[in-house]
Amino acid sequence: MDTLDRGRAAAPWAGRPAAERALVQFEIEQFLYAEAALLDARRYRDWLGLLADDIHYWMPIRRTVTNSDLEREFTRPGDMAFFDDDRTVLEMRVKKLEAGSAWSEDPPSRSRHFVSNVRILDVEGDDISVEVAFHLYRTRLDTEVDSWVGRRVDVVRRTGEGLRLARRHIFLDQTLILSTNMSTIF
Amino acid sequence: MADGAQVCKAWGRQEILSLFDPDTGLLDRRVHSDEALYQLELERIFARGWNFMCHDSQIPEPGDYFINYIGEDQVIVVRDQEGQVNVLVNSCRHRGNALCRAEQGRAKSFVCSYHGWNYGLDGTLIGVPGQSTYYHGALDKSRLGLHKAAKVESHLGFWFATMDPQAPSLHDYLGHVGRTGLGMICAHGDVEVVDGIQKNVIDCNWKIAVDNLFDWYHVMYSHASAGSSGYIDLAGILHPKEQLVMLDNYGHAISGPGVPAAAQAGIDQMSDEARAALSRETEGLQLRPRAATELMGPVGVRSHGHPNLFPNLWITISGLQVCLRLPRGPSKTELWWFTIVPKGAPPPLRAAMVRTATHLFGPAGLLEQDDGENWSQTTRAARGVTGRTLGQFLEMGLGQDEARRSEAGEHYIDTQINEHGQRWFYRGWRDWMAAESWAELTASLPPLPEGRL
Repeated sequence: MDTLDRGRAAAPWAGRPAAERALVQFEIEQFLYAEAALLDARRYRDWLGLLADDIHYWMPIRRTVTNSDLEREFTRPGDMAFFDDDRTVLEMRVKKLEAGSAWSEDPPSRSRHFVSNVRILDVEGDDISVEVAFHLYRTRLDTEVDSWVGRRVDVVRRTGEGLRLARRHIFLDQTLILSTNMSTIF
Repeated sequence: MADGAQVCKAWGRQEILSLFDPDTGLLDRRVHSDEALYQLELERIFARGWNFMCHDSQIPEPGDYFINYIGEDQVIVVRDQEGQVNVLVNSCRHRGNALCRAEQGRAKSFVCSYHGWNYGLDGTLIGVPGQSTYYHGALDKSRLGLHKAAKVESHLGFWFATMDPQAPSLHDYLGHVGRTGLGMICAHGDVEVVDGIQKNVIDCNWKIAVDNLFDWYHVMYSHASAGSSGYIDLAGILHPKEQLVMLDNYGHAISGPGVPAAAQAGIDQMSDEARAALSRETEGLQLRPRAATELMGPVGVRSHGHPNLFPNLWITISGLQVCLRLPRGPSKTELWWFTIVPKGAPPPLRAAMVRTATHLFGPAGLLEQDDGENWSQTTRAARGVTGRTLGQFLEMGLGQDEARRSEAGEHYIDTQINEHGQRWFYRGWRDWMAAESWAELTASLPPLPEGRL
């Protein structure tokens, strides 16, 4: 599925019985809230445990473009991005946070992950595609405030061990990043 | 050209020269916090010097444009119908509104959203609504074209512009160090910029972001966590005892690891095939081909360090990326990362290079994340009444090294980790700031060092 396809109607899934959809909706929302709580509690090692082995964690670069040039608003897969991580790189990010010398997170940031407007886009086998609006609020030291808002398209997968995050594509509502860094997990 | 006379009431020539002492390495912290000095920098450094605009590959077709800055002046870098690259101040001549509000794109002309004045790709004013009626046909359009940079020139496909007609040619401005730096990017052949410029803002003075690129001392400590995460072998890239510094006119410098001269002499004997084979076997530094010596010079070709093209263009990871440090006030800097790959690179190689750039630098980079706060806290400390009097001590290696001159005219030092690059940068900064014109700047340049330094 093309995660760049904004505002797409969730057609196949929307046609399923309401009771079935409500159950999955509840299940996915609770998973995403629990995942957000782990990040806000700085339980990064536990968060890694929620990731599928083939996770793709990606944040393309957004540009200010004219209406006639909107297909170039985001960089494409394979071009430059802010994040383009597989499981190995995400594990390194967590190891870095645990290293005791990640100065950009020591003292640690305070973050709050808000997840809303949760829409199941599609269910294909074990993979559930879900679009959310997010607000990631971070403060650091005494005066640093970051407010990252955007749209996310996640794939949550059913496995024998429970739900796992198999894809996170992050479409930020900023072009110039108004932050010193992005040392926080989205 | 404004001459800075108004703010100079606050900062006279002697006062400016006293802000950095090259003989002791003592730097006055006010250079990182003073508003009047910042305004003078915009006039005497950014409006006067050559500023990096973009690479050829970013604007290949007529009408392609990219927005950049000269100091705080926003400019449109655009290729016109004749293929000529123009650098136009992005400000309508009527009331000053911005013409281009997208950061890149393709245009047939530039139309102001305020009253509809329309400019050609070369900046000519071609249309004014109501010209014959409201203006009674009396408006002289010929004097109201967009303001153009005084000079626009390129080297190896990299476009630069200056607002000062007295500036020397780009070739002369770049000198050995500038040409080595750009040659480093092109050492393996033609290149192109990957789509997507990473941009972020740091609450720091732009010069702290610049001087840090010469600083190989901070790597083991600031970036320790990138090492212990397993992402990068810091000791493997650092070569603390094999550092090569190059210094040139106008404050340009290179600092960082360098292939020792004896090792390079061996490489010089090898064919390009043998160099490529050895690079594959060792998986270490990519040995540069013979042609690179032409581009980079006999000493420059040994450098795998960080060039800074004065004032604010960093060339990094042996040319994989360049980063602009754009001033936004004494306490704010935008960082713009451009990623560069060989033209027509095989997809696996291109993908590997793009991944490296994404994971290493930029605001989310495993290495870069830890720099910003050092810089913002350093800037903050320069604002305190007491803090700003305390000075910074850039004395590492001072008086301990020998500067040499190569037959090609390159001035360089083979040494260990040091602060020569930072001292040279602030010495250059001081000369630019004290001079009221290009002529005065050129006349005041110190001789390039030879002997004890």
